Amino acid sequence: MEASELALFRSGIHHATETCSGEALDAALDELGWRDALVADRSTAVSVLFEALGSSVVDSSALDWLLAAALGEKDAVRTSVVLPLLRRAAPPGRVRAGRCEVHGLGTGAVARADAAVVVAEADGGPVAYTVKASSLELRQVRGLDPGLGIVEVTGDLDAAAGRPVDWEGAASIGQLAVGHELVGLARAMLELARQHALDRVQFGRPISSFQAIRHRLAESLVAVEAADGLLAAAWDDPSPVMAAMAKGMAGRSARAVARHAQQVLAGIGFTTEHPLHGYVRRTIVLDQLLGASSVLTRQLGDDVLERGALPPALPL
Amino acid sequence: MELDAFKVAVDAWLDEHEHELASDYEGGGTLDQQVAQLRKVMGMAYAAGFMRMGWPERAGGLGGSNLLRAYLGEVLTARDLVEAGFYSLPEVLAPTMIDYAPETLAAEMVPKLLSGEEIWCQGFSEPGTGSNLGSLACRATHTDAGWRINGQKVWTSLAQYAQRCVLLTRTGTLESAHRGITAMFIDMDSPGITVRPIETMHGAEEFCEVFYDDVVVPLDRVLGEVDGGWSIAMDLLPYERSTALWHRASYLHRRLEQLVSAAPAGTLDPTGVGEATQLLWAFRARSRATQRRLAAGETLGSETSIDKVLVATAEQAIFELVGEGLGPEVATGDDPVSARWRAEFLYSRAATIYGGSAEIQRNIIARRLLALGDDR
Repeated sequence: MEASELALFRSGIHHATETCSGEALDAALDELGWRDALVADRSTAVSVLFEALGSSVVDSSALDWLLAAALGEKDAVRTSVVLPLLRRAAPPGRVRAGRCEVHGLGTGAVARADAAVVVAEADGGPVAYTVKASSLELRQVRGLDPGLGIVEVTGDLDAAAGRPVDWEGAASIGQLAVGHELVGLARAMLELARQHALDRVQFGRPISSFQAIRHRLAESLVAVEAADGLLAAAWDDPSPVMAAMAKGMAGRSARAVARHAQQVLAGIGFTTEHPLHGYVRRTIVLDQLLGASSVLTRQLGDDVLERGALPPALPL
Repeated sequence: MELDAFKVAVDAWLDEHEHELASDYEGGGTLDQQVAQLRKVMGMAYAAGFMRMGWPERAGGLGGSNLLRAYLGEVLTARDLVEAGFYSLPEVLAPTMIDYAPETLAAEMVPKLLSGEEIWCQGFSEPGTGSNLGSLACRATHTDAGWRINGQKVWTSLAQYAQRCVLLTRTGTLESAHRGITAMFIDMDSPGITVRPIETMHGAEEFCEVFYDDVVVPLDRVLGEVDGGWSIAMDLLPYERSTALWHRASYLHRRLEQLVSAAPAGTLDPTGVGEATQLLWAFRARSRATQRRLAAGETLGSETSIDKVLVATAEQAIFELVGEGLGPEVATGDDPVSARWRAEFLYSRAATIYGGSAEIQRNIIARRLLALGDDR
């Protein structure tokens, strides 16, 4: 996108995520032509929207649209995608003896969609099934972050009609999207802590003047920019290795910022009167969606050690 | 020449001259060997024209983007032909000369630096002036014969090899702080200069103390304005955190890769390796974006402190792993390859100290990028 077009797109997205969530946000994104932007300029569409979703801690069907499109689904609008259980990035289904067992998660989008795509591991590689949402069993999960509307999805499907899909490729794009959402959450937590540090006076001076506080906040900005820079580079070549690395870094960074922000916000940040808790909750859940940072980081190390070599270096 | 064509040409030239370019020592070599190797490689790359690319024509260069310089340093480091830190010194010194020296002086001197004919050093730090550069005391007094310099510098890299020095001096009162500083271009063979190398824990005496006793410097060797040296130092620091850091990334990549292939199975924690790899990639992504901003004509500023924090963090994470995976080599290996791991393991301790300490970088980030106001 050109600079003027990008500024307009960005402000439209930000207005939408700041004013609505869920079904209303889906409608607003439609109005803004987000899915057209996804076709025309995928990295911009994804990075701008998902960072904004994180900034405002709101929920939309965008991750499902993105994954459905990446899995070759024609009618991606009314179709949700069953996600892996937390921590994992492998498909949520498994084909065995003519049946497809499903055990995964859905976001709030599952309840709004008519159909669901289930990807399953099969002997010949991953296959996808597009099924009526009603053919799956959904159990609402409250858990740490009820606002995310997570549902546990189980099912037992006829395995005959599966079509081969590139799950790894789709999951990589999903990892980048969730990575941007984590960066949005981290930036917002840093800003909450920064503002508090400037406002809060102790010992006759704002706590922002204390080096212990300043260095925590500086450390947080370094973490955010490291994750953001790696995500941007990953879009040049969204290979599974780069996407997993960027998602792992984003998760670790957002968790680090959550810790620093919680400490700087101290007492007030521990109450539900202050918005921080909502960001912390979502950070901990999204860090685990499509591969937890702890798992992705160890997996990267295992791969490097096994091959005795690093992934290809980023070219200048 | 465009970057892609440059890469092809440089790579082909490096392949063709592989044997002449290679060092004649095993492991890291002595400091004398490293400096000789640096001058040889720079001389060959200058004669072939590559070393002149990315530098302006008025200073003996052949023009073109800074990305060309970034690539040349990256590939020379990746092939282990130069010591990255020494190779990158011109990345800080040459821009200062090009931007602030009288035009004829820059045109005469910069080619000597780029061709490896001369080594230059940078006289900034003093015994009483570490992080607080504005307090420097090395005095320059105006006389009819020229500037008369008296004082002491410390941590001056390669001063014992250097023919020239970019020196920061005090020309105002001490109370004038950053307003009374003047930069000068000094001939290191001037009478009154004494260089004493410092023995450091990593074993190479690359840092020096330099004493100035009534050293006379011609009046036309002032860089920029008299009492305007602070702005030169401030303009130069972002350079220290851009192309030079891209070269450092290439060094870290080579060493991490050598580590994971050399460390015995089971000696490295996979999570630690994963974290260090992510950090290195994140730093490289960030540094590449900085290179591209520089190429687009943007002025670099305080945001490069983030690059500097990232490179130091990555370097120490990687060498912590060296201490684990190659612990016995670092501790008791006396062969040249082990000695090199040991020296570099120890050198990494300084990554959060030199070039603006980790604390100073965080202070800059807090004040300039997060607008947290005064810290008192």
